[in-house]
Amino acid sequence: MKLTPEYASAQESMKPGKITAEGFLGDDDRNIVDIITADEEEFAHLNLDFSEIAKLLRQLLREGAKGLGNVVTFEKWEITVDEARGNIPCPFKDGMFSKRVATIKNLNNSKQIMISDLSVHLLEKHHFLQGKGSIFRLEPSIIKAVLYE
Amino acid sequence: MVMIRVLMDPLVIAAISTAFAIIITIVDSIVNNYGDVEIDINNGKKVLKVKGGSPLLQTLASQGIFVASACGGRGTCGACKVKVLSDVGPYLPTEMPHMSSEDISKNVRLACQVKVKSGIKIELPEELFNIKKYKGVVESLKNVTYDIKELRIKLIEPNEISFKAGQYVQIVIPPYGDIKEHTQRAYSISSVPSDKNHVELLIRLVPNGIVTTYVHNYMKEGDEAELVGPFGEFYMRDTNADMVMVAGGSGMAPIKSIIFDMYERNITNRRVWFFFGARSLRDLYYVELFRDLEKKWPNFHFVPALSDPKPEDNWSGEVGLITNVLDKYLDSMIPKDNVKEGYLCGSPGMISGCIQVFNKYNIKDVYFDKF
Repeated sequence: MKLTPEYASAQESMKPGKITAEGFLGDDDRNIVDIITADEEEFAHLNLDFSEIAKLLRQLLREGAKGLGNVVTFEKWEITVDEARGNIPCPFKDGMFSKRVATIKNLNNSKQIMISDLSVHLLEKHHFLQGKGSIFRLEPSIIKAVLYE
Repeated sequence: MVMIRVLMDPLVIAAISTAFAIIITIVDSIVNNYGDVEIDINNGKKVLKVKGGSPLLQTLASQGIFVASACGGRGTCGACKVKVLSDVGPYLPTEMPHMSSEDISKNVRLACQVKVKSGIKIELPEELFNIKKYKGVVESLKNVTYDIKELRIKLIEPNEISFKAGQYVQIVIPPYGDIKEHTQRAYSISSVPSDKNHVELLIRLVPNGIVTTYVHNYMKEGDEAELVGPFGEFYMRDTNADMVMVAGGSGMAPIKSIIFDMYERNITNRRVWFFFGARSLRDLYYVELFRDLEKKWPNFHFVPALSDPKPEDNWSGEVGLITNVLDKYLDSMIPKDNVKEGYLCGSPGMISGCIQVFNKYNIKDVYFDKF
């Protein structure tokens, strides 16, 4: 895959201070195409499906939001959703998302992930799981452990 | 001969590149130079001569007219809606998520997304002309909880502000760290309008938030501060209805301003219930302040509720989600003998949950900020 002008523009918007204080790239020095390619390979290796995972994460966000900021236990997960006012744009310029952040913990193994409406969109539509070191980085192996173990 | 070419070739390439750069700069200044253009506001009531080429929001701000913008012009908040009477081209994809069919039928646009390229006619509410930019200094910056700071700004230029309790301002922060531009965000005022020389805000740290990170980790007492405002339609309605107010987190700010403004102005004949939802004791603040007010104002009732109190909190007050506590009070503890108004400030989830409860009790006049 090539770093097209659209990807280059999105990558620029992902730098610290453009959309969020710390940005989306963490301390990862790869370009976003390399990050996406590597994560797609890892997803295939782990037999994970981007759409299915996005669907499940959205369901967990919905269930967690019912707690109005409190811990909600739903099936094997403990979910806490915090909301701030306002919206945040996707760096790929294809949507705007509420500032809702969920921490999802698997009660079987205590592994957890942090997601937002935007990070689920980035996963589903762009296969972008954010750079290593980003606070919203979704590591494929951790996703699998949290959702499927 | 070969040596001369080796030396000359880079120079020739550099000269060609420079020539191209100059041509591009000249063409850019001609093509994108819109010259001076006129902005006609409210059918000739105000006519501005401005330099064309910038977004309408910033162009108006440069002339001292500040349209509300909670996101500072990024097209994400949808607050800067302005009725445009001239043809300024089709709606941009960035505008569409914020536009209702009624907005589109009235040619309402986002001022931050419309560029002023030629003469333009617009309509603005008259009250926008009273909005000003304020320079001040950070007088105090205190933690009221582990993640909420109370920021008190002393106004310097101008040194007085006039606002309705419940309204908000936009705070403008300078570049810091990796943030290369000035950034602004909207926060409700928590001080009372009678304190004309100060603006007090309650700011909760949002993970990865540009402005909240600055306020929590970089700002210090004595720093210069810049504000624009006041804005907003969230304020006490002048009726005799009972007021049922609900807040969570930093949503305390406008409710505190409204309640203490009412007390100061002796509007104490109205019955007021203030429900404040928090997770555990460490999320509660200003409890003593409101308990003291309860003693002085018999019609005022403060109901803090914890949804997940810790054993060490020794909490003996209300327990449960704030929506459940509100439901319980409306069902059996708040007299049903008078009309009621709802006032809400908090997360979108809390607001929609409270609206459902208000609907159950047929409370239709419900007010909240939409940003």
